[in-house]
Parts: sequence; C-alpha cells; structure tokens
Amino acid sequence: MTSQNSSVAGIVGEVRAWLARHWDAEARKPRTGDLGGWQKHVFEAGWAVPGWPTEWWGRGLGAEEASAVANEFRRVGAPGSNLDRTNIPAIVLMNFGSEMLKRKLIPGFLTGEASICLLYSEPGAGSDLASLRTRADRQGDHYIVNGQKVWTSGARDADYGLLLARTDWGVPKHQGISFFFIEMHQPGIEIRPINQITGDSHFNEVFLDNAVVSADHLVGREGDGWKILQTALGVERLIMGEGAGERRWGSAGDVATVLDVAREAGQLHDPLLRQEIAQAMAYRQLNALNLARAKQESSGGAASPIMSLGKLAMSRILHTDARVMTEILGARSMLDGDADPRAADVNYRTANAYMTSIGGGTDQIQRNIIAERVLGLPREIEVDRDLPFRESRAMKG
Amino acid sequence: MTVFTDEDRRAIRNSVQRLLAERASEPEVRRFMASPKGYDEDLWGQLAAIGMTGLLVPEEHGGIGGTAREVEEVMEEAGAALLTGPLYASGVLAAALLAASDNATARARLLPGIASGDRIATVAITGEKGLWTSEDVAVHATAQGEGWTLAGVSSFVLWADAADILLVVATGPAGLQAFEVDRGAAGVRIDPLQSWDRTLRLSRITFHDVPAEPVADADAIDVMLDHGRVALAGEQAGAARHVFEKTIEYLRTRVQFGRPIGGFQALKHMAADLLVEVESATSAARAAAAALASNAPDKDVLINLAAFACADAFSLVAAQSIQMHGGIAFTAEHFAHLYLRRARADARLLGPSRLYRDKYLTALELAA
Repeated sequence: MTSQNSSVAGIVGEVRAWLARHWDAEARKPRTGDLGGWQKHVFEAGWAVPGWPTEWWGRGLGAEEASAVANEFRRVGAPGSNLDRTNIPAIVLMNFGSEMLKRKLIPGFLTGEASICLLYSEPGAGSDLASLRTRADRQGDHYIVNGQKVWTSGARDADYGLLLARTDWGVPKHQGISFFFIEMHQPGIEIRPINQITGDSHFNEVFLDNAVVSADHLVGREGDGWKILQTALGVERLIMGEGAGERRWGSAGDVATVLDVAREAGQLHDPLLRQEIAQAMAYRQLNALNLARAKQESSGGAASPIMSLGKLAMSRILHTDARVMTEILGARSMLDGDADPRAADVNYRTANAYMTSIGGGTDQIQRNIIAERVLGLPREIEVDRDLPFRESRAMKG
Repeated sequence: MTVFTDEDRRAIRNSVQRLLAERASEPEVRRFMASPKGYDEDLWGQLAAIGMTGLLVPEEHGGIGGTAREVEEVMEEAGAALLTGPLYASGVLAAALLAASDNATARARLLPGIASGDRIATVAITGEKGLWTSEDVAVHATAQGEGWTLAGVSSFVLWADAADILLVVATGPAGLQAFEVDRGAAGVRIDPLQSWDRTLRLSRITFHDVPAEPVADADAIDVMLDHGRVALAGEQAGAARHVFEKTIEYLRTRVQFGRPIGGFQALKHMAADLLVEVESATSAARAAAAALASNAPDKDVLINLAAFACADAFSLVAAQSIQMHGGIAFTAEHFAHLYLRRARADARLLGPSRLYRDKYLTALELAA
C-alpha cells in the first residue's frame, strides 16, 4: 500500500466518524434535526472545501483525498461537501478575487447564507456571449451598470449577481469584458420572470438601469472577464454533466428511470421497445462510468478530457429518456396534469431536456469546444474576433 | 496468488504496446493477413515469451495468473494494432474455459502448453447461425461405454487451421459440456471459410461420431463466454480509439478550401460525437473487466453493457472514419477499411448487439 493510499484511508476514517456523529444516514438529516444549519456546520468543520488550504476554510487535502471526502458525504446522502469543485462563486473568487473579496464573500457562499445568480447572456449575446453590450462605466469608487440580461435563474432570491459587463469598447470583443459581483437588492435592478415551455418560470430577464457596483467588487482586473468566465463555465458544465437540470421526482428524491416507467406501464415485453429501453439505460450508465473513470484519472490532479463530454452526453440521455418514455406511454402521452400524472412527468421531461441541450452552451457550441479544446482541431473563424468592439456588427444588431 | 496493481497492468500493457509497435505495424499486419498461415509465428513466440498467451492461466500451470482486467488492457493494444493471430482464441477463450474447469486432469494436460505458447488452442462453440447461445449449439455428445463421441457442425471457429488443440462445446444429456477432440481423428472435417476481415481466420468443422474427451462443464463455458465478451470489448475499445485518433490527425492536416478540414463544423461535430463513443467504450470495457475480475454483483449488467456498447462504438467509429477521410479511404491501401472489416466481424463474433441489449435489460430488471 502506498503512502497516498494510507492518507486516503486515514481521511476516510475521519470523515466517516464525523458523519456518523452528526448525520443520520437513515433519516437523511442532521442528528440535530436542523437541516437549515447543516451547511454551516459542514463549513465550520472544514468539510465544505476539503481540498482548499486550512487558512481558506479547507483542510489542505490532495485531490484524491478530497474526492474521497465527497464520496463519503454522497454515500450517506449528506449535502454540503465537494464545494471546492461545484460552488461557482467560491471557486471564481478563490482563483481570481482580491484578498478582501475572498474574506468578505466566500464564507457566505460556502455556508449557504448568501446566494447568487448568473448575469451572462443577453438578448443579443447567446451562443456568442462575447458580443454582450451591457456596460459598466467607472465613476469614482464605483461602476454604473446599464443593460439587459436574460436566462437568469434565481434572480429574485439572489444576494449577488455574477455580472459580465463591457468596460472597454475600443478593444476586440473578448478583451473589453469585466467580471463583477453586483449586489442584487438595489433600486437599479428590475427582474421579470420568463414563462418557459415547461410551464415553469425558472428563468428571468434582468434589467439594469443605472445599477451600482462598488469598484472593489470587480474580480481580477478590467478586461479579465472572459478568462474568469471560462473557469465559471467549466464548473457549470461539470455540474450539468453530472445530471443537474433533471427534475427530482417522487418521494425519495429519485428520478424514475426509463425502466421504472416501462415496468409501471407493463411495457417490458415488446422486443422493439426493449431495444430502445436498453439503449436509453445504457447511455445513462455509460455516462456514469465515464464520470467515475474521469474522477479516478483526475485524482492525480490533471483534469480529464472526459469531463468536458458529460454535458453533451447528458443532453442525449435526457432527450432519449423523454423520447423512449413517450414511446412507452403511447397514446397516454397526449394527456397531461391530473388526467395522467406520469404523462405529465414525461411531458415535462420532453420540454425540460432542452434546458441541458441549450443552457450553458448549446450542444452545437459544446461540440465545437470539444473539437477545439480536447481534440485540437482548428478554431472557428470569427470575423469580428480582432475588431475593436465598437466597429463590429454586434453593435449594429 | 499474484495480485496485479495498476502499475503492474501499465507495465504489462507497455510491454505489449512496444512489441506490437515494433512487430505489428500496418505493413506487417497486411503481409501476414495475406500469408497462408495468416499470422506471424515469430511474433507469436515473442508474445508468449512476455506471458501474453498465459495471461489467464494459473501460475501452477505455467501462466501468470491474471484476471479479466489484465486481459482487457492487453486486448485494447491488440485491437489498436489489429493484431492478427490466435491470441484471443487460445489465450482468452481456451485458457478461460480450462482455467475455470474443475477437471484437474484436463487442466494439467492442456494449460501448460497454452501458457507457454507452444500449443495453440481454439474453441468451437456456435452453430451455423453464429448466435453463441446454447440453442445454437449444433454438436451433440453421446456417451459410448466409458467414453464420448461427438456429431454435428460447429461454425465460425476461430483459427482452427492454426490450432493444435481443438475444444468443442456440445449438448449432452446434462446440457452443455466442453470436450477435447483430436483434430486429426477420422470423422473431423475442417473447412476454412473465406472471411471479409482478412485478419481473422474462420472455419466450419463437421464431426462424424468422433471420440471426445470431456474437459469442462457448463459453468466453465459460462465463465469462458464472460471472459470472451470482456476481452472482445477491450479489443473493440482499443481499436475504436486508435482509428479515431488517426482520423483526427488527418482532420488536422488535410487542407481544402484553404484550411485544415478539421476546422469545418460538419466534421468537428462528427468528431465530438465519436469521442463520446470512444470514451464510453473504454469505460464500459474496463468496468466490465473489473466486475468480472472481482465477481461483482453487477457483473452481468456490466458485461452485457460492454458487449453491445463497445461493438456499436467500434462499428460506428470505423464506419465514420472512412466517411471523414473522404476519397483516400476508399483506396485499398488506406488503413481505415481494415478497421471497418474488423469492426464488422467483432460485432458479430459473439452474437449481435441486439441480443446483448436485451440481455442487459434483463440483467437490469433482475437487479432492480
């Protein structure tokens, strides 16, 4: 046994003992019964970001040990760990924030006391996010922000917005963008919900009309925004690849699989349907096996290229699930609501699958990214890439 | 018993990779696939010398006592190189069958020669439908006094021409059973079948009341088939990755319309989708190997998953690689069609994907 394995075994023993003391695995809740205070409790014990240094709320563990901690939390169904891989604002600040911003904001995000929304996309800047036109103009020790954002989830409850805004119009589009943490509760910000094809209103439009953000809430320097965004998007795609964006269904918090739906509908006999059910189940299991292998391969510290495939694979999984479930239900899939709750679930999934195949970068953009960054194929030609932004067509559109 | 670490596996894999890079390059593969024997006997000796023919043979019989995990990794390399020869028939199928058998005499008599590579074995299993299911076995075993005789037909037998040891699965009074038959005995007729994949040799064998020696029971046959599926999945995963990487290389260098064709989204998107298949095949093959090696409860789920996922992935990647290369890959000198041929054979060698997709679902139903 190598020394690394023994340090993993040591940390597993420690986290298990801590969880056994504080978490009731059977009831899936803290022994105190206080689920609301759980996140803070995990944070104070250093388990929220075990891979970070001790002076930054972590435990200074290596990647393999940190991943072992996350596995122990997952095993007993306890939330709150693994935030050094999944908490977007904390990871962004840790990598790029000033000492002051880190100290001021990160604890709130790790304890769950502060929440965020993402102010990236605009009506004129979707796949081509770098053509965004929301502006932030410096005035003394703050910036004045004007523009419109879209596809913002959680805007109404958020304390901070992770804001991309243009601070320089005379340089090419990627270079004039800055990244801010803007306070959401202020008069210059108006939020309007979007009615989605799922029937939900998960996303909002956000209007910024002379909104104010303090200059010390700029992350990195002016013009660093695009680079910082890549880190934030990387975390988001990782989360989506692991299956976020699925509606939690049923009392146990589980999602019914295609096999569950087929069994419930008594449709496990038709040989043609069986082929489709098996293929749908296979896509899901193969993605899980890929993620497990990626984690294992990246436990040495290197990021595995497989990680970037997860979101694309998840799109196919969700669309295939919905399509095969629709086949299973047959005519029932025309019904909705109380007339057929399972059909309602499948209808919802059919529409909601687009959240993964469009949100966070469409499948088509995702394929470009995989081809360019993982496979090293030539970059897309962008005619406005090197033009000063104010001269590009995006300004006229 | 030896327990192999990740490091051991890497070392085994690297030694095979080095040997194949040196001795089984594409021109060599082409030369030997067109030769009368169909494989490089000298290379066979070298594979044997580094233990590859005895991977699944226990140490007491001269092998290295490995598991499905070591075999799977080696088969990834063999697949990448399109290795031609009886490694799979002898070192995987026959070795797994005998190693799992509780017939100690047969093991002691046959395994040392297989392990050392001095003798080559193959297993005749399936009938003329090539389904590799028990219903498709078309050789019957009859008890004759103290001994047994076999009658019937076995088809799609791998490397029968090269084999010194002929093992035959037959239906007997107690279900499936495996026997050894003297390939030179009266009543054995071996007809070579021309194969589209020239790196594989296939035969049809007819048995007319041939004396046979029992070597293994139905349980050992099941173990052999599990090893066969996992090893084949490894071969498919390795071959798929290799042909994919060669195709990506071409996309980076081939220039049309004034730029490398890999810059066009039509090809980029095909490439990204194929990468998902290649990575999934590798994950599936390795997970199945680990499950078989540890006899995990989800073994059947994972082996059946790997059986169709790897077959489908290799078939798709090989087929698309020709399309992505364009005209050059329509020439016989180009490598891509060699992989298409192997992919198409591999995808049927142990039965079709649709069979395994159904078995996978059945295994999931039982697990849930």
